[in-house]
Amino acid sequence: MIIDIFLSSYPLFLKATWLTVQLTAVALMLGCVVGLVIAFFRISDNKVLNYIAHVYITVIRGTPLIVQICILYFGLANLVTLSQFWAGAIALAVHNGAYIAEIFRGAIQSIDRGQMEASRSLGMSYPLAMRRIILPQAFRRAIPSLGNQFIIGLKDSSLVAYVGMQDLWGTGLGEAASNYKQLETYMVVGLYYLVLIMIFSYFVNKLEARLAKGKAPNKQTKDNTSVAA
Amino acid sequence: MKKRAKWSGILLSTVLVGSLLLSACGSQGNAPAAGGQAGGDGGKKDFTYAMSGVYKPFSFKENGQLTGFDVEIGQALAEKMGMNAVPITNPFETIIPGLDAKKYDAVIGSLTVTPERQKAVLFTNPYYRSGSQIFVQEGNTTIKSKEDLKGKKIGVVKASNYLDWAKKLTDEDKITQYDSDITALLDLPTGRLDAVITDQVVGLRFIKEGGGKVIDVGEPLSFDEQAIAVRLGDSEAVERINKALDEVVKDGTYEKISQKWFGRNILQKQ
Repeated sequence: MIIDIFLSSYPLFLKATWLTVQLTAVALMLGCVVGLVIAFFRISDNKVLNYIAHVYITVIRGTPLIVQICILYFGLANLVTLSQFWAGAIALAVHNGAYIAEIFRGAIQSIDRGQMEASRSLGMSYPLAMRRIILPQAFRRAIPSLGNQFIIGLKDSSLVAYVGMQDLWGTGLGEAASNYKQLETYMVVGLYYLVLIMIFSYFVNKLEARLAKGKAPNKQTKDNTSVAA
Repeated sequence: MKKRAKWSGILLSTVLVGSLLLSACGSQGNAPAAGGQAGGDGGKKDFTYAMSGVYKPFSFKENGQLTGFDVEIGQALAEKMGMNAVPITNPFETIIPGLDAKKYDAVIGSLTVTPERQKAVLFTNPYYRSGSQIFVQEGNTTIKSKEDLKGKKIGVVKASNYLDWAKKLTDEDKITQYDSDITALLDLPTGRLDAVITDQVVGLRFIKEGGGKVIDVGEPLSFDEQAIAVRLGDSEAVERINKALDEVVKDGTYEKISQKWFGRNILQKQ
């Protein structure tokens, strides 16, 4: 029974869940940093940076995550010795970074060009205008896609079981091999992921609602001006 | 002004949460993967050895604790060598690449000695002997010996020597490869497989514990020697482990561990 497996193994699975959460959180935070940098490279006028970003996104998006994890953990062992955690986290960060970069790029480019022009004509420098005017708006627009990417990232983190990590999936595989009950064990693992993602989605929705509320007055003033005009 | 405060607030909290998480995982996540460093236990060096962890009763998890015959042999050997035993798990098909990549010092994972593998790793003396056995679902009357396996669907573990047996006995496209022998055995009743080839003891334990209605068929295909593997060129480690193994066998520790798991000494030839 699923209930039996759930009750007998929950301390173990809770520990594994915590590892999955840590791994994903670290990976996605690093991924956001990578993504933001690559997004800037991608929209910059500098040809070299542009090219770097292009190659990065092409290569990372064009190869499976499992290949990247194995290259990092087994393949590069003579160059860098990474623990399972960091090999997994960095591979996930690099992988998600490529997708997050495209999300950020899309969001930044979706902000009306006039905003930047107006900021610059007010005497703001490009970085200042970016930080104060463009990015806050872009971030708001990026949230739904980012949330989606984070959910994918969380589920993809299960691939680290392949290098022997005892994350949720790795633990599930081990449990099924010793209790001889595959269906029940895998379903319990699935439930843990489901609950994790439901909790996460709840917070993303909250954040979205909050940012949308913050947006309302802006809309109001805009409407007013258009009426006035 | 207000906007700026909010923005830096988001940044600050991200950094805070980030550093919290990082410090937390620094202590936890790194622990199992370090190889050959001075460990926490009284400054003793770590003896890290790998196994699949999904090979009951040789290596498996019980209440989250890695246990089984291979684990305990590793502990006994580490004790003799004055080292700190650190068993870790890796998927079986990556277990030799992982050894190459210096992720651990040795493999105590029921590796069968084969000429192929001897090109990739250095083996110690055998630490147990067993046989390759065919298992089928109870009630199957068509498979009585290895000759009956021709054209039948066989399940084995990836990169195992049982895979080589399967290749000899049936067509290549009839073979299904699994992460764990247990998973393969569990697939017998579904009808996706006609037979599974794995270690005798693993299958008999599976039957005894009621994992499924499965029986062993015919004589064992072979009697295999299972040995501990270290990296090529590390002959110093082979000597050290062999010496420890001798001592463990002589002082009765081996007998005790073997009796505990199998009710007999599995180093002696049947």
